[in-house]
Amino acid sequence: MANTETTLKECLASIEGATGAALVDYTSGMALGTLGGSKTFDLNVAAAGNTDVVRAKMRTMEHLGLKGGIEDILITLSDQYHLIRLITGRGGNGLFLYLVLDAKRANLAMARHQLKKIEEDLEV
Amino acid sequence: MTVVGTTPPPRLPVRDRTTAHQRAGGGVSPMLTRLAEERATGVLDREHGTLHLVEGRVVHAESPLAPGLGMLLTLHGTLDAETWQDAEGSADEGRLLRHGVTPGALELAQASALYDAAYFALAPSSTPGRFRYGTAHWLASVHPVPVAALERETLRRRALLRRIWPDPATDAAPLIRADPVAAPAVPPRQAAVLARVDGVRRAADIARELGRPAFHTLVHLRRLAAAGLVSPQPPPAAEDHPPDDAAADPYVALLKRVRDALEAL
Repeated sequence: MANTETTLKECLASIEGATGAALVDYTSGMALGTLGGSKTFDLNVAAAGNTDVVRAKMRTMEHLGLKGGIEDILITLSDQYHLIRLITGRGGNGLFLYLVLDAKRANLAMARHQLKKIEEDLEV
Repeated sequence: MTVVGTTPPPRLPVRDRTTAHQRAGGGVSPMLTRLAEERATGVLDREHGTLHLVEGRVVHAESPLAPGLGMLLTLHGTLDAETWQDAEGSADEGRLLRHGVTPGALELAQASALYDAAYFALAPSSTPGRFRYGTAHWLASVHPVPVAALERETLRRRALLRRIWPDPATDAAPLIRADPVAAPAVPPRQAAVLARVDGVRRAADIARELGRPAFHTLVHLRRLAAAGLVSPQPPPAAEDHPPDDAAADPYVALLKRVRDALEAL
């Protein structure tokens, strides 16, 4: 079992190419914890903005009548990957992990796999 | 022709909004900002809630408008109500951890309850706050928050609600369901809120029943209000003019909502 801080540290330490991570509540748009990022990349702003991405996708699935849940959402920039992993635990309703990866150094398949493992350890 | 030079009129004094804003401590609570600066420990009582401080950081918050930590933990089956009461009665954080609440879950629930109650505690009030110097709250070590971060988040939350739907009437009034002609699909978490709108319950009641943070319920209700699915119960009117036939017309209803929204801007 891990708390917020150790979970985020594990994201940055164990996932190759990870430059920032946040645990976000997507109803309020608040980051419950952030690690990494930089002066030019404010993870709190990214957290609030990406709640709209999650919400829009959920609404679309609702309109389409799709019953499956979202596991993760990948956004590919020219030099970065942004990975959003929804947390499914008992009390984790409404939270997601947000991971920023350097596209040159990251192994996407591995990162997804590791993020899934980290999410399973975060028993919330 | 000679040009008569006149001295230009003196510049009007203009208040610098940015410095005025900073002087007021970000516009939330100058008293709280001062307490943070002097690293105070104690309890700040405000009209809509209470903030517990330890060395200038906020460690716990309570508000009658927001479900407390105990409610968030017990309603989701993380903890039984008796264990919570024991832990609260003996002020023993260890008792929570020994009964199956993981440190991570406790931290997240506490952070969530703290920001939630603080949103209401820091709402504009009509009476001045009171600070009692004292000892630390029993949950002080779980998730202390710097005052500046709390104020920033509270302002962000106010702006978020305003952006979704500018009319704050659904925050406090008893709520009624409206049935628009073409009702949009409602996501499951909003649907749970909508199902409890019955003409009597207010946002705070719904939050308590669902065991969810009250601010989240306000967000859902503003989205539902924006979609035309929920509106505040109009106050019992002493008016006796005949029923308004136009109210049944969906286009008139829509125009009224647009008017209300514009007025609320």
